Amino acid sequence: MIDRDHLEVHVAGTAAEPGAGWELEWVDRASGIVRARKGGRAVMLLVEGVGSHWAVTIRGRRIPVEVRGWRERVLARAETAARDDAGPLTVSATLPGLIVTVAVRPGDEVQEGDPLLTIEAMKMQNEVRAPRGGRIIEVSIAPGQAVATGVALLRLE
Amino acid sequence: LRTDSPRPPFDRILVANRGEIAVRITRTCREMGISPIAVHSDADAGAPHTRAADHSERIGAAPAGESYLSIPAIIAAAVRSGAGAIHPGYGFLSENADFARAVEAAGLVFIGPPPTAIEALGNKLAARRAVEAAGVPIVPGTTVALEDDVSAVERIGFPVMLKAAAGGGGRGMRRVDRPDELAGAMAAARREAAAAFGDGTIYAERLVSPARHVEVQLLGDRHGRLAVLGERDCSVQRRHQKLVEESPSPGITEATRAALFESARGVAGTVEFHNAATVEFLVDAGGNHYFLEMNTRLQVEHGVTELVTGLDLVAWQIRIAAGDRLPDAVVDAPRRGHAIEVRLYAEDPYDGFRPVAGRIGAWRMSEGPGVRVDTAGEAGMEVRPEYDPLLAKLLVHAEDRPAAVTRLRRALDETLIGGLQTDAGFLRWLVDDEAFADGAYDTGLIGERWGAGPPLSDEDTALAAFVAAEARRETRPGATRRVATRSVSPWGERARQDALRG
Repeated sequence: MIDRDHLEVHVAGTAAEPGAGWELEWVDRASGIVRARKGGRAVMLLVEGVGSHWAVTIRGRRIPVEVRGWRERVLARAETAARDDAGPLTVSATLPGLIVTVAVRPGDEVQEGDPLLTIEAMKMQNEVRAPRGGRIIEVSIAPGQAVATGVALLRLE
Repeated sequence: LRTDSPRPPFDRILVANRGEIAVRITRTCREMGISPIAVHSDADAGAPHTRAADHSERIGAAPAGESYLSIPAIIAAAVRSGAGAIHPGYGFLSENADFARAVEAAGLVFIGPPPTAIEALGNKLAARRAVEAAGVPIVPGTTVALEDDVSAVERIGFPVMLKAAAGGGGRGMRRVDRPDELAGAMAAARREAAAAFGDGTIYAERLVSPARHVEVQLLGDRHGRLAVLGERDCSVQRRHQKLVEESPSPGITEATRAALFESARGVAGTVEFHNAATVEFLVDAGGNHYFLEMNTRLQVEHGVTELVTGLDLVAWQIRIAAGDRLPDAVVDAPRRGHAIEVRLYAEDPYDGFRPVAGRIGAWRMSEGPGVRVDTAGEAGMEVRPEYDPLLAKLLVHAEDRPAAVTRLRRALDETLIGGLQTDAGFLRWLVDDEAFADGAYDTGLIGERWGAGPPLSDEDTALAAFVAAEARRETRPGATRRVATRSVSPWGERARQDALRG
């Protein structure tokens, strides 16, 4: 089961739990200026970003923060799992959606991180990238096809 | 202050610089009834310093060598715009004797010391000889160009600093700790000096450590009158370059201060001097001082002196250039209270103060009692790798040092710069640092006490995580817009309820 509302947070590369007891108030939403209050004391800080990449500036220090929703979480785990597997690898759909483009054909050599295909889900295009380098031995889907989570998309040698 | 001439000394002044210093000079021009003319490279078309002026002249392409360092382009711009004088600011051509001569040859007034003084003091090695001959202590070391014979350096004693004769301002310096490193370091220092300054001449000085970096501000008129306007302590440095300056110095005695002033007069006496200059010294733990160099221009940190003296140094530079005499009110200007300047740079203090480029996001500068901000930054501005990454200078003035430090802490808390990493996190740490608070610090402070900065506190980590997660929730498609949110434990549940109540 996927908890679609849970957010996984990494602060400066380390998993972190959001702090309790703070009250936030936007001072200037467009610039990301926020007032944070706790225990009767207020501090001004900055929050900037989009998607899963954020930066929060506290007392002059700009701190990188990764905020992963269920989609990025699933993609990240699939990538990690794939990297750990040395043999032939099946790349499966990590989310349900519509195949929009397929960038590779059987026989193509790909490097880790190369775009393989895009899946449109919840009106967002999600790029599926090669979890490791290798030769494509099979492509099981085509543009326009709807896929469910776990459906095999292609195989890497 | 009353001056000799009731009318503005010039109708128009061309400000041959960019960024905050160009804006700062423009402001004084306006106060004096002088029309300020800006110059800009292609990268700076429409930049804040051009908008501050009455008119701006294009002087060339983005690289400084093709624009802000081009003597013909700047002289031509001054002539085209009808300027009667040129203020060079700091950096770029401000200490270039050829430029000062070219300005005068074009029939314009150069707002700065005479070319002969710029030249004499620009050669750091020749300046060391002249200053030593005048009886002012210099940092022990060589007074002639280093040849391949290393015995001269070995007699000084290690560690030594190798310096470029044509360098200055902390550039072209190399530390050598052991005799076996010397030959290689000398070859590298010569190469660097030749590449950076077109002159590979180097010399050696004993490393004075621990030391404070203290400098004395001078103003001299064209009639032989000299004003010694107090000192600035610039001991908080990275890469031998200043980040924080304050006046008075918290680390010297009255006797040392008097000796520094006397030595500064002695240094100025080695050349025919007028206009503004700064004499830099190292002061060791025993209170002994040693001449480093004399900068024949306005310093970045001149505002510190302006706050404690109440004088406008740029206005006096302009009046002196026009031939005015320094009145007693300037020569005997009392110094009041304590001033501190911190420099806000686009650089990463958590990664060796590496310069960063990028686009500024949010931009909020401090205001209020005792606060001055000199800047040409603004939201959305591109910080380009071609130019100095100085974003702003934040200055505070208060009745004494503890009050100034407290004011600086408040001012830094009001300062918000988004889009890129700045040294603001370091500066905010500094005001809480014990050594800085005591005033008992030296040029080793950043290396010894900051390093790569403290680890993130648990509190800041948890706050950053909460704020970023909340910001993401709000930007999610279909999310209910909320004015306020609250973090509770378990943190997710309540926030969602708040969202639903909207």
